[in-house]
Amino acid sequence: MEKFIELLVQMNPFDLVQVVFWGLAGAISFYFSIGNARVWTSISIGFFLIFLSQAYGINPWGHYQKLTAYHHIVGTVAIMTITHGFLEYYVFCRTFEISGNKLIVYLSTLGILIAAGVFLLINPTPSPNTIRNMKMIENAIWVFLCIMNIELIRKIYSAIRDSDISKGFIAFGIVFVCIFMWRGADLYLQIFQWDQDWQDIITLMTEESTDIDEYMGRVEFSREVIRYAGVLSGVSVGGAFTYMYKLLK
Amino acid sequence: MFLLPKGSALFENLAVSKLKLPDVLSKLNNGSFTGYASFVFQSSTAILVFEAGKLVSVIVEGKNGMRESGFQALSSLAELMVTTGSGALNVYKLSKDLTMCIHALLEGETLCKAQDLKLIDINALLKKIKDDHMNGCLRIYTDEHSAMIFYKDGNPLGFFHDGASDIETSPAESQKIAGTPGAKIDLFSTKSADELMGTNLLEFTNVQKIWDTCVALHKSVIDKTNTERQERDRKVLSQQLAELEEAVKSIVGEYVGRVGRGIVDKEISENGGNSCLVDADRAEKFIKGVERAAKLLVSGTNIKLMMEKLTSTISLAKSEF
Repeated sequence: MEKFIELLVQMNPFDLVQVVFWGLAGAISFYFSIGNARVWTSISIGFFLIFLSQAYGINPWGHYQKLTAYHHIVGTVAIMTITHGFLEYYVFCRTFEISGNKLIVYLSTLGILIAAGVFLLINPTPSPNTIRNMKMIENAIWVFLCIMNIELIRKIYSAIRDSDISKGFIAFGIVFVCIFMWRGADLYLQIFQWDQDWQDIITLMTEESTDIDEYMGRVEFSREVIRYAGVLSGVSVGGAFTYMYKLLK
Repeated sequence: MFLLPKGSALFENLAVSKLKLPDVLSKLNNGSFTGYASFVFQSSTAILVFEAGKLVSVIVEGKNGMRESGFQALSSLAELMVTTGSGALNVYKLSKDLTMCIHALLEGETLCKAQDLKLIDINALLKKIKDDHMNGCLRIYTDEHSAMIFYKDGNPLGFFHDGASDIETSPAESQKIAGTPGAKIDLFSTKSADELMGTNLLEFTNVQKIWDTCVALHKSVIDKTNTERQERDRKVLSQQLAELEEAVKSIVGEYVGRVGRGIVDKEISENGGNSCLVDADRAEKFIKGVERAAKLLVSGTNIKLMMEKLTSTISLAKSEF
């Protein structure tokens, strides 16, 4: 417990606020998945998993590299689950078909997370570089799937624009714009090796130099985008689910 | 149709709808029946005259006075029996001679027709009947009454008048009608009873085939009528179902939006067409399907309102079908 409090104290206030908001959003989305139709389960679980992926900052065992890597895998699974949910919703809007059940969604997600855990356990401890690669892959997938989800949401909205919950999808559209900016800015820094992880790696492990000083303006801007868009993402997810809950009540 | 003497009644008022013409004729033929059978329908009357089981004459006369005889009459009788739900059969046994006279009345040679009694010498006519040893029937009638005198070999067999049920021996009623102003006479003659025995319509008429043809024809008419009625009913039902489907789509569309119509289409298709709306089990499945899909699009309050409206519309329609 002392270690946990120490971690909280050491954390950047922005990161702490972001984790807290993701925690709230995760709780709301998970609660939403329990009381609503099957199609919402994938979407809700996905957003809940974002919280788990973001919680590494307050994880007392976060210094274990396998656990850090696991957080990134959970993040990747999160956006894939969310996309699967929106894709199902889009299919429903076109065909009015609703298949599957909630238990299968829960168990499938759990199965994937267990398989990811087993994958990490049977492989060597990931180096900081490997973890950074994982984080970069996670961000790339997030950015790509955010664009796809924005398009899916646009199509869903145009199909159901005169229904009660159509405005709720606009809220989800805002969520994905925020997430796109947050993850996109992070990916931008990673691609140009201006991210903090890379700076730490080259300082501690290699003799490589960096050109970060030449582009400090855009690096700082990107870092600000990551901070604010990250917080806004968490806030908007919580808000979107609360709004959707109100619309469906 | 003339009123005929009843003689001895074998059957009276048998329901024709339960009888088959070949069976009736076969029974009378096999029983060497002498007399006549009358089939009385609302629109027509048929008289079949038998001599010792042989069918010597058949007459079918409509209310309009149109007469048919022979094969044509048998066909019409068969048709009437098959197509008419009502009708009664009377079978009267008569003497051989009187039967001959009935045949003369129905199908004999007409010697006089509607002759004004004032214009003819009745005594001369009666003398001629006697001298010619005539077999037949002299009918005397006015607009209100009629009487018949049956002759065998020129001698009166008996007298019959409307209001009586059988042959009488007294000519009083006949003379009374003959004395009425405006009275007219018909005179019909026929061959002797023995000669008539040479005629049997049943020998050269396939009654069974006539009957079967009529039954088949009637069945085809009924089948056609039924098919047309079913087709008409189907069209009406189809229109009613289409109207109900549209009403359901409007309700769902009102709460769910334009995708609501698609949801209704899909659920109707999955439950075997719009007839599911008036089938208890399938209607329940349909309503559940719509509710399940609507939960993804509509608030709980609106779903409740929509379901109430939907259920009451479908229940009302089911009670009307």
